[in-house]
Amino acid sequence: MKKVKIAIALFSVLLLLAGCTSAKQGSGTTPASTESPSAPTASAAPEESPAAAKVLNLGKDVELASMDSAIATDGLSFEVIAATTEGLYTIDENRVPQLALAEKVDLSEDGLRYTFTLRDAKWSNGTPVTAKDFEFAWKRLVNPETASEYSFIAGVAGLKNADAIIAGEKSFDELGVKAVDDKTLTVELECPIPFFNSVIAFPSFFPVNEAFLKEKGTEYALTPEALLANGPFKLKTWEVGGTTFYLEKNNDYYDAGSVKLDGLNYKIIKDTQQSVLAYENGDIDYVALSGEQIASYQQSPEYHSVLTGFLWYLSPNQKVPGLENINLRKAISLAYDKTAVVDEILKDGSIVADFVVPQFLATGPDGKDYRETAGSYPSNNKEEALKYWEKAKAELGIDAIELELLFEDTESATLVSQFIQSEIETALPGVTFTLKSQPKKNRVELMYNGEYEVGLTRWGPDYNDPMTYLAMWTTDNPNNFGKWSEKAYDELADRVSRGDLASKPEERWEALKQLEAKVLEQAVIFPVYQKGNAILIKPEVTGVNLGSIGGSISYKLADKQ
Amino acid sequence: MGNPVQSFTGGDFELAGNSERAQMDHTYTSQSYGRDAFLRFKANKGAVFGLVIIIIISFFAAFGPMMNEHTYKSINIKHKSLPPRIEGLENFFIFNGVANGVNAYEQKGLTDVYYIFGTDTLGRDLWTRTWEGTRISLYIAVIAVAVDMIIGMCYGLVSGYFGRSVDNVMQRFIEILSGIPNLVIVTLLIVVLKPGFVTVTLALMITGWIGMSRVARAQILKLKEQEFVLASRTLGAGHFRIIFKDILPNIFGQIIIMSMFSVPSAIFTEAFLAFIGLGIPQPMASLGSLISESFKSMTIYPYMIVAPVFVLALLMLSFNLLADGLRDALDPKMKES
Amino acid sequence: MRNYVLKRLGLAVVTLLVILLALFLMLELMPGSPFNDEKITQAQRAVLDAKYGLDQPVFNRFVHYIKAMLSGDFGVSYVIQKNMPISAMLEARLPVSIQIGFQAVLLGTAIGLLLGIVAALKHNSFADSLTTFISVIGVSFPSYVFALALSYFLGWKLKWFPLLYSSAAPFVSTVLPTIALSMFTIATVARFTRSEMIEVLSSEYIRLSESKGVGSARLIIVHALRNALIPIITVLAPLVVALMIGSLVIEQIFAIPGIGSLLVTAIQINDYNVIIAVSFLYSIMFIAIMLAVDILYGVIDPRIRLAKGEKHG
Repeated sequence: MKKVKIAIALFSVLLLLAGCTSAKQGSGTTPASTESPSAPTASAAPEESPAAAKVLNLGKDVELASMDSAIATDGLSFEVIAATTEGLYTIDENRVPQLALAEKVDLSEDGLRYTFTLRDAKWSNGTPVTAKDFEFAWKRLVNPETASEYSFIAGVAGLKNADAIIAGEKSFDELGVKAVDDKTLTVELECPIPFFNSVIAFPSFFPVNEAFLKEKGTEYALTPEALLANGPFKLKTWEVGGTTFYLEKNNDYYDAGSVKLDGLNYKIIKDTQQSVLAYENGDIDYVALSGEQIASYQQSPEYHSVLTGFLWYLSPNQKVPGLENINLRKAISLAYDKTAVVDEILKDGSIVADFVVPQFLATGPDGKDYRETAGSYPSNNKEEALKYWEKAKAELGIDAIELELLFEDTESATLVSQFIQSEIETALPGVTFTLKSQPKKNRVELMYNGEYEVGLTRWGPDYNDPMTYLAMWTTDNPNNFGKWSEKAYDELADRVSRGDLASKPEERWEALKQLEAKVLEQAVIFPVYQKGNAILIKPEVTGVNLGSIGGSISYKLADKQ
Repeated sequence: MGNPVQSFTGGDFELAGNSERAQMDHTYTSQSYGRDAFLRFKANKGAVFGLVIIIIISFFAAFGPMMNEHTYKSINIKHKSLPPRIEGLENFFIFNGVANGVNAYEQKGLTDVYYIFGTDTLGRDLWTRTWEGTRISLYIAVIAVAVDMIIGMCYGLVSGYFGRSVDNVMQRFIEILSGIPNLVIVTLLIVVLKPGFVTVTLALMITGWIGMSRVARAQILKLKEQEFVLASRTLGAGHFRIIFKDILPNIFGQIIIMSMFSVPSAIFTEAFLAFIGLGIPQPMASLGSLISESFKSMTIYPYMIVAPVFVLALLMLSFNLLADGLRDALDPKMKES
Repeated sequence: MRNYVLKRLGLAVVTLLVILLALFLMLELMPGSPFNDEKITQAQRAVLDAKYGLDQPVFNRFVHYIKAMLSGDFGVSYVIQKNMPISAMLEARLPVSIQIGFQAVLLGTAIGLLLGIVAALKHNSFADSLTTFISVIGVSFPSYVFALALSYFLGWKLKWFPLLYSSAAPFVSTVLPTIALSMFTIATVARFTRSEMIEVLSSEYIRLSESKGVGSARLIIVHALRNALIPIITVLAPLVVALMIGSLVIEQIFAIPGIGSLLVTAIQINDYNVIIAVSFLYSIMFIAIMLAVDILYGVIDPRIRLAKGEKHG
């Protein structure tokens, strides 16, 4: 008898399910920019005036990891932090740093002391943004208690004592930044840094209000209520682990007049095919494309591609027998067709990289892009590669070599690695590659420990200067995975970053070109491509600054008809 | 009550069929168990069909990759993403090389190029890769079934038969092992060891047998207190004999069905591992990894997923039919119906 | 019975502790660290490890974790949502996973039982072939292929159901994922019900009841199904746990903020506390359900009295 009851219950639930389905169908199809009843952080929904509101719906493929500017490490977090907070500078679409919260800046004769004067600006709780907020935020960045993964950037900016503080030799209080009064901030540097303005436009240098942070304690930046904004938008809803979060226009922003949107509605959709369907459906106005999706949209007027500063390259481990041989390295570096990689596999606007320093990364003292005046290097030449391989065989006394190619398990890395493997094996008879795919964190760990043979890896710029790349191949740099080392290179690199050349822009620029030439002549790395991002944006959306190298996407001036 | 003068004519009667209800006593000529089973198996059309399909698929898995000049890893980027086209069948709608209304072959100027299953996004021949993948999937399936049957069955039988503290200890161990999500164990194993054939197989073995042991145990719990076991014990049979000679044949049907279900689950587990980058290392292929690979562009190049899914489904169907046939043939109780 | 249940509960606690320890030891073996970006230096990593206590020996961390856990503190996430308490993350995600899993189990079991019973009653008929067909299809296609096909046709072409999960419409937006998830359950349950029912229906006691004139509906449900249920439940139980804990693929495709994708992401990026918390949650659910199943065995089949073991034999 019991079974009968259970069976009846099962079937009635089933009927109920079917019933609800048809009844509720209509309401479910409306684009859902919503709050969850269970989420503690949800407050008023963005659809208070759905018809009138100009809300941009954005599809993203990762969760919002952190809203704390000292803790965040990923692109989306930085994008949202930059939408809600402003620092001393912002980077405009021509990659030029523009004053933002700073109204005026003075630089001392020796280039070691900056004095910023702040404009009148308010936090979203009404308190003014002061120089103390900057001093607090910067010291918090290097404070070991914060344990920021991005604290190294204080050293990159050349802030006085930053490196010593991070190494644990000095107290974080000794960082070279000081609020003279509410409006004046002085910054002291270890040495002149030519790209200082662009580094401090980075979100890690955004201000944080000390009183507010202390009040919220460990809750800080974990809920919309525990966050302050001084930028064009403020976080309104953010479900813990939810698939949506919503930013609304911040009326306390000093330049609120030029913000035309009422809000930004982010939706997290991890599957690209599904997000493209959602885009086609009109649920979202912006979507990033990947893989084969790109080919079918390339002709569309809604298609855009943005070149990023990420360089993907192969790193040969010099400690692996065989790879210490320059002719073998050169043979491999010339043996694969990069044009096919960008045109046939990636198709996302990535460009062939025969270089180390990416295009549009840095502008020289002559006002031209680094790549315009730097040398050009051979790309893909299979006959030449074969000659080098013959030479290498003679020198090493071998007929064949088997190497392992380490890469991360993303779709594009997997395809590119397989293609490169096939290209090299065809071009250089006797060279065989086995493929080793690992999750990204493990891939980095293996390379960091030198437990790899050839690795497909990438590097993104921290600031708009060639040294963000070229510093990597100095002997002691932890990111010199391949352990290539040359004394002359180290010395020149040191002069460029901290030595006599730091204050001579033209000579420094030439030295940078020499460094790059060295890396390529020695085949220290085998560049593959400079990454582009393919996206779709609805035609009625205008004014989005799609971001450029060193600056993230900005919606401040965006509009939707 | 009724009309007493009712009379019957011959037409009022019909022969009561005994096909459904009555039991016929068949007389069997005496023959060996094996021969008996073979005859019963042969009479089952579905099972024979399944066996034939499995043989055909195994044939292609063994020789398919050698049937053209492509290898599973030879990349021809100029021939990427071509739909299926077969020489002589150009006018036949699925083999005409047209996808989404565009003839990709003509577009690329490849007039004398033919790929039976098309090519993938790197321009590798899907015919070769599908059969290569089938080979690896079959390998995985065979190992999975073998391990499931041997380890899982013995474990479940012993645990269920002895009961009490033996059962307790053995079930606690299973609880601990299965209480940890498979994924954590498998990932860890693969990350620590070098990814490859052996590692994936090992990873599937570690937890694959648990389901089987549960079925075996549940069955033995049901059977062990029945009269024939009691009889056997009274006659002095040892534990080993009771478990493997008396009880095992009675639950063989369940075990076979469970094994056949572990085939797809083993293949899918491998596919899932491939999905998160821990499966058979590229450029090697398995049916599962081919499916998850082509899944990424399913809305654009739907034909890429067709061949592996079709082979996989056919393989599963055949294993199921075969399992049913074997069950009917091997289970002595089924003789009656 | 009560003593038996109490004893099992006590054992379950011990089992859970062993599992937790095993998890800690396993993560210790795992290569990599949560703080492992290209940009991080050795000194920074040391600072980070110290802050989160990762520089402590495993055993200390284990004891510390258990102490914290008893007060409801599961630690914070290192990577996925930095510094977010994991209890808050689980609180938000678990109900979603359970809801969808529950729906899928209900739908799958109901349809599976129905198909299986019909197939067994009409052995070798069209309905039987249909069931075999459905159960083969159900186990032959990966659920993501169903999921994408469903969302393509029902969601995008016909616009019957929303493509993406939305917490405002927690039912309508979970229809497609529920169907996609239940396919495997339907197939498995139908298959086992069919084969069990055929076996039971041909046994003597059914024939006896039949000849005693028991009505056919009553016969099927009270006598046959009851006996066929044991193996079905055995197969279903682990499936239920797996469905409740969420499916990575389905969650990814329908943008569902559930537990399944959380675990996979955490494993890939070494978010230790998340791995431990989600795995542990899985363990708790698993052990609870297995315990329930063992007790159910006794209820369904009086011949099985686990607690007394061989006393009768």
